[in-house]
Amino acid sequence: MTVPSRSGVRAAALVAVLTVAAAGCAKSENDKQAGAQDTQGQQQVVQTPSGNTPSCTISKFGATKFDLKSGTVGFSQSEKEANPFRIAETASIKSEAKKLGIGHLKATNGQSQFNKQISDVQQLIAQGAQALIIAPLNSDGWEPVLQQASAKHIPIITVDRQINATACKDYVTFIGSNFYEQGKRAADQMVKALGGKGKVAVLLGASGNNVTTDRTNGFKDELKQKAPGIQITFQQTADFTREKGQQVTEQLIQSNPDVNGLYAENDEMGLGAVTALKGAGKKAGEIKIVTVDGTRNAVSQIPSGWISAVVESNPRFGPLAFQTLSKFLNGEAIPDKVIITDREYDSSNAKQSVSSAF
Amino acid sequence: MTSTVTAPAEAPPGAGGRERFFGLMQRHGATAVLVLLVAVGSVSFSSFPTGDNLGNIAITSSFLATVALGMTFVIITGGIDLSVGSVFALGGVLAAYGMRWGSFAALLLPLAVCGAFGLVQGLLIARVRLAPFIVTLAGLLGARGLLLSISNEGATTYLIPHGSLLARFGQGSVLGLGYPVYLTLALFAAGAVLLQRTRFGQCVYAIGGGEDAAQLMGVPVTRTKVLVYVMSGLLAGLAGALNAARLSSGVTILGTGMELDVIAAVVIGGTLLTGGAGSVSGTIAGVLLLGVIQNLINQIGDLSSSYQQVVSGGFLAVVVVVQTYLSRVQRLR
Repeated sequence: MTVPSRSGVRAAALVAVLTVAAAGCAKSENDKQAGAQDTQGQQQVVQTPSGNTPSCTISKFGATKFDLKSGTVGFSQSEKEANPFRIAETASIKSEAKKLGIGHLKATNGQSQFNKQISDVQQLIAQGAQALIIAPLNSDGWEPVLQQASAKHIPIITVDRQINATACKDYVTFIGSNFYEQGKRAADQMVKALGGKGKVAVLLGASGNNVTTDRTNGFKDELKQKAPGIQITFQQTADFTREKGQQVTEQLIQSNPDVNGLYAENDEMGLGAVTALKGAGKKAGEIKIVTVDGTRNAVSQIPSGWISAVVESNPRFGPLAFQTLSKFLNGEAIPDKVIITDREYDSSNAKQSVSSAF
Repeated sequence: MTSTVTAPAEAPPGAGGRERFFGLMQRHGATAVLVLLVAVGSVSFSSFPTGDNLGNIAITSSFLATVALGMTFVIITGGIDLSVGSVFALGGVLAAYGMRWGSFAALLLPLAVCGAFGLVQGLLIARVRLAPFIVTLAGLLGARGLLLSISNEGATTYLIPHGSLLARFGQGSVLGLGYPVYLTLALFAAGAVLLQRTRFGQCVYAIGGGEDAAQLMGVPVTRTKVLVYVMSGLLAGLAGALNAARLSSGVTILGTGMELDVIAAVVIGGTLLTGGAGSVSGTIAGVLLLGVIQNLINQIGDLSSSYQQVVSGGFLAVVVVVQTYLSRVQRLR
């Protein structure tokens, strides 16, 4: 009879050890990233003029004022910190919170499962978060969260992707890049790389969010206008992941051998494409690749010619998110969108700038 | 369940009491661990045992539970249904798509399509005698493909408007619990009666215990097997539709990898993957265990996402090891 209870204790002890060990590891890893973050210093810069005049105040939104130094802020990340963009984004939020001495920052990760992210945010609300910073996985489907948050007058700031809802009513504001503009700039780079003529394949991002839609539309619209000689002959989703990018590109080489350009809507897919092209015995520059994000891995492929250009999408949201939040709490008016300026990497600056990539 | 935990103190030291205890632990191991975790969680985190938080766990778990109910029947027959995650997502998109014809159509359309999906899979498995693993793997891909074709490669998200009957059902709550939670409980009660108290339920167990023997005893093997896959499809579609109602939209990216969570919940609940044994009450405990583990990991907070998976994997391994160990001890006596 002592056997089961002892094994129960053992199980509990094992679980406890596991948890503590994991927490320890996680901590040291985060600290390292935070340190690396500080030395880089390529922070986000707000575009001027940035859209509408600021009009959303705390009284108009109906939130309750609180002190950031003693309050609780919830951060919901959408995907596992397994790619450079998410790693840099989470590290930036956490290190900025530490720097500012935010009372409690509670962070969750949706692990790419939308229902998990919804329940994560609901849990943050239940745990007493007074403000929320959300990196949404999907643009639609936020109803349960928005209802609970508005019942408790909790301000929400979304970063990097948008929620399909009303600014200053359902959420305060969105901080992020102009993805349509990124698509257009990628098209300009593609036109330059191809000399205005050729056949282009597009690796689309994950479906169901505004990033993919805008990066696609911006690219197509700009091509139509600037270079009617360039045709898009292939497009397929590769879910923003490197494996899928490689897989889809392998199929592409078989089905459309005459393609001369490839537009990947993020760096990871672009790097997957590079691997696929190398595997198929292609040479650097044979197919011109343009990607979006600005990760160190992608930018360092520019000098060798495997990637022609990278349009940046700056993931260091920490400083701007907390600055916007504290302005809002101090009663200042906030615009419905805070759009940041992104840089570009090509053969002219890649070597010098690779150190500021994330 | 507390009675199980305190059993060793009260039970006489006779072998009978012992055996009963091990038997109970094996069948209700998940419930015991669940009670333990809830107790530890309540003591450790003041924000865990709040009404809001527990209500969140309940509503989040209710959709997984509904899918797992169908899976329990399938696994008891010795089969497996890998298509449930995709069918769940398909159900949600169909519900939102069907809203153009009203709330009832929005509920009937996913039920009809997902039920038909289950029927085809069931016929292929029971009649044509193909392996369930392969048939439902094809179903997983097929349902996802159908979803993508309806939603324009996932680019279009159909919405379920505010105030529609379906949205009100998905989002409403009474006594701090969402309506879908009550529906799930009712479905589980019905499922328990069906499995334990009806001829159909006995047939399900008999097939899992040994298909040929069941056939010889006159059990309608083909019909029963087809029916469990239809049930699984229907329940996955229903859960998807209700989830879409809660989210007010047919989100297209749901359900990838969900089949693994569902199977894990069922197995943790004491249902044997080899078939022939299991219960729906165990499945509820298994689903809640997954929900509580996830919640507690978030309560701990500072875990990086990779370690979150390590910890939840570790938790599950511990539960399964304890369960297996106990069932082996029981068999030796």
